[in-house]
Amino acid sequence: MINETELIERLKQGDETAFKTIVEQWQDMVYNTILGIVQNETEAEDLAQDVFIKVFEKIGTFKGDAKFSTWLYRIATTTALDHLRSKKRKKRFGFLQSLSGSSGEEKDQIPDFHHPGVRLDNKERASVLFKAIEELPDNQKAAYTLHKLEGLSYRDVSEVLSTTVSAVESLMSRANQNLRKQLEDYYNKHYR
Amino acid sequence: MIQKEKIQQEIERTLESLDGIKRAEANPYLFTRIKARMNKRTGAWERTFSFVSKPLVALAVLALVMAMNGWSYFDNSIPTENLVSEAPETASLPDFESEYKVITSTDSYDYENANDE
Repeated sequence: MINETELIERLKQGDETAFKTIVEQWQDMVYNTILGIVQNETEAEDLAQDVFIKVFEKIGTFKGDAKFSTWLYRIATTTALDHLRSKKRKKRFGFLQSLSGSSGEEKDQIPDFHHPGVRLDNKERASVLFKAIEELPDNQKAAYTLHKLEGLSYRDVSEVLSTTVSAVESLMSRANQNLRKQLEDYYNKHYR
Repeated sequence: MIQKEKIQQEIERTLESLDGIKRAEANPYLFTRIKARMNKRTGAWERTFSFVSKPLVALAVLALVMAMNGWSYFDNSIPTENLVSEAPETASLPDFESEYKVITSTDSYDYENANDE
């Protein structure tokens, strides 16, 4: 079993076997993080590929100040959030096109997302919660996903987001408030 | 009142619905797909470089650059006084200013009432 430092050194030298080991070792972590943020399995797989290609290309910039997993989480989170931003821009453009009479119909109406790791009896509730998470601001969404889906501590989340623990506490508190408000609106409309 | 309490319970249970969630598993062929994408990218660059580095292409590009260079040299060598003398009579600067209401001093510009005219 090769240790992490040796793997990284070998990857820096362009060793393909080391790259394969890294992908296989961290692919679920990267995929799960991205999936929680983008809430679409096909997009999450494409983005996970992007993340590992970035890792291969940028490994030379990894100085080892942070843990490798922290660096990886950072790339995964940034890639996923960038993707959402570009999707939003396209949606806005589509909306403007539809106003001007062009064929800018919204093709990517996302169906309710079901995370494969949710217990069967929680499936419907989790789907409602994911819909609410989708509406959170980017930084709250990232903090909430890393903490709830990946089980990272506030300290680990703060390292990934390059911020302080108290800032993460504040982000989580605001995320919970926002989610409560959204769920309240949802259940006021749908509760029978 | 009872409904409000029930809604609060629903919210709590929904917020707890991610507790004990398992990690989603990536496609087991993820590495193969990554490799395929990387090879495709490398292949595209290699094709571009091999095309550009062909002697015929390189000579053609060189000839084109030299031709453009020569053309710009001869184009600039036309005496400028000829151009000035052949130019049609132009309006004077004050005429131009009054015609297009150009404001030459920013100090006197009335920004607040600029759109009132």
